[in-house]
Amino acid sequence: MTRPELTPEDVDPRVDLGGIALRNPVLTASGTFGYGTEFSPFLDLRRIGGFVAKSLTLEPRHGNPPPRIAEAPSAMLNAISLENVGVDAFVRDKLPALPEDVTVVASLFETEIDRYAEAAKRLSGVPRIQGLEVNASCPHVKSGGIEFGQDPTVLAQLIRSVRRATSAPLLVKLSPNVTHIAEMARVCEGEGADGLSLINAVQALEVDVERRRPVLANILGGLSGPAIRPIALRMVWQASRAVKIPICGIGGITSGEDAVKFLLCGASAVQVGTANYLDPGVAGDVADGLRSYAARHGFPRVKDLVGGLDTDGR
Amino acid sequence: MADPGAAADGGALETPLRVDAEVVHVAREGESSHRLRLAVPGWRRFSPGQFVMLSPGVREAAPRTDPLLPRPMAVYRAVGAGEEIEILFKRHGRGTALLAEARPGQKVGLVGPLGRGFPVADPAERALLVAGGTGIASIYALGKRIRAAGGQVRVLLGARAVDDLMGEADFASSGLPLRIATEDGSRGERGLVTDLLEQELEDAGRTRVYACGPTPMMRRAAEIARGAGAPCLVSLENPMACGFGVCLGCAAPLVEGGFALVCRDGPVFDAERIDWEGLP
Repeated sequence: MTRPELTPEDVDPRVDLGGIALRNPVLTASGTFGYGTEFSPFLDLRRIGGFVAKSLTLEPRHGNPPPRIAEAPSAMLNAISLENVGVDAFVRDKLPALPEDVTVVASLFETEIDRYAEAAKRLSGVPRIQGLEVNASCPHVKSGGIEFGQDPTVLAQLIRSVRRATSAPLLVKLSPNVTHIAEMARVCEGEGADGLSLINAVQALEVDVERRRPVLANILGGLSGPAIRPIALRMVWQASRAVKIPICGIGGITSGEDAVKFLLCGASAVQVGTANYLDPGVAGDVADGLRSYAARHGFPRVKDLVGGLDTDGR
Repeated sequence: MADPGAAADGGALETPLRVDAEVVHVAREGESSHRLRLAVPGWRRFSPGQFVMLSPGVREAAPRTDPLLPRPMAVYRAVGAGEEIEILFKRHGRGTALLAEARPGQKVGLVGPLGRGFPVADPAERALLVAGGTGIASIYALGKRIRAAGGQVRVLLGARAVDDLMGEADFASSGLPLRIATEDGSRGERGLVTDLLEQELEDAGRTRVYACGPTPMMRRAAEIARGAGAPCLVSLENPMACGFGVCLGCAAPLVEGGFALVCRDGPVFDAERIDWEGLP
């Protein structure tokens, strides 16, 4: 279908992500955007839909020993281990430092279900926080360290418990390290999640061949960046066909066109992650590029692109 | 935790830029060293020891994805009256190879200046600048600044061989007193630059050591300085993905526990604060 070309200003970029009203569909991913203020020299945060802050635990937490990062083709590995200032310091010190009209999603993680619920409770009702994102890719102590998001029973218990603790819009960030992403998506929807974010980093290992050692001190790390984008697109497509709640697509986005791919595969919004490291202003360019794409192709609303992948005859 | 940025120069840090810098020229120096001159729109000034993140390869509509990460590079010096800087680097991987092969007029992504540079020296102290490998690029501007402020400076440079020695002609023509050590004896004295440091510190007086180079070199310099009762500052070169405090990749373990970020809290640190055993 050919649509008449529009100007970007004609295109309405607003979307709703599970009850979080976004001025445009481009957020930045947890763990790649600090607490937001780090980007103030490079990016007007009002150019993007919002940001997901670094994952928070009840207590402040130090990360892993170095080396913590490694480069791979079109990708990087990290094993930071979720170093963060803790829930209370975030609310007390980090939030007030942000400009008023910036949408903030707080990400939380813990090692036990009741602690996740407590963190969700403490972050609920904070006026500057528009939504919560549960990072389900953490090792669950009681299940012997397997990720919460890798076991549908444990994931269901987790989301049920967090859902009871908060009435804030609740997103669940899913691990890609599973066999059936659609099943995990359905579990979250069934337990009352308002939306899904996927994918988190792909479990990976890189080797220093001269020293015959793993590059990372932690041995394993999470792979992120453009190399994982087709995996992420596949999982977003599969999850979007399994659930009705909106999906926030994540994985190797560096341009407006990359974001369009996720919307076509069924995502209602996206998160820019690793690209923030390479270019701290890139998320604004992705938002602009997405709107330009919609204009060029004659879509009056960016959300008209959602689920538009044409698979007829394939 | 104490302020890990205590080594800062105290003044307000220049707000970093995110720009496309234009390659003015790239020249090979010696066996594997390159001098890259960049025109950086909006560049004002930097503090010696600060760095920039340079994206390898030509910048196009979207960031380059392979190699993915920008490379941290010390600002060697500002040149001319305007917005030009020089970077000295060694070609040792795909990223630096792309920078080495850049053509005049091409654009490369630049973020910086970043980090906290060396603190302003006390002119009553003697400054001993010890550098090896690419660390040499971090101390040229420092030596010039200390000398301009009336301080007494001595520069000790080390390399495996004369072909690995970066910026030698600049140091020689700067008038900064200079000693060189090469492991094969092809320039200066045969041995390690830290051997020169030991000799220089036999009569330490009021001396402060400034070291930048490979981790074993900095660690040894810190030991020698401690033994002589001289304070020592080191400029760390940990790998990093962002350069402005969000990837947390460049964490350096501290003696007091926990980590400092080399990009945000450093790269310059009091050597006594670094847990060298835990630094890769």
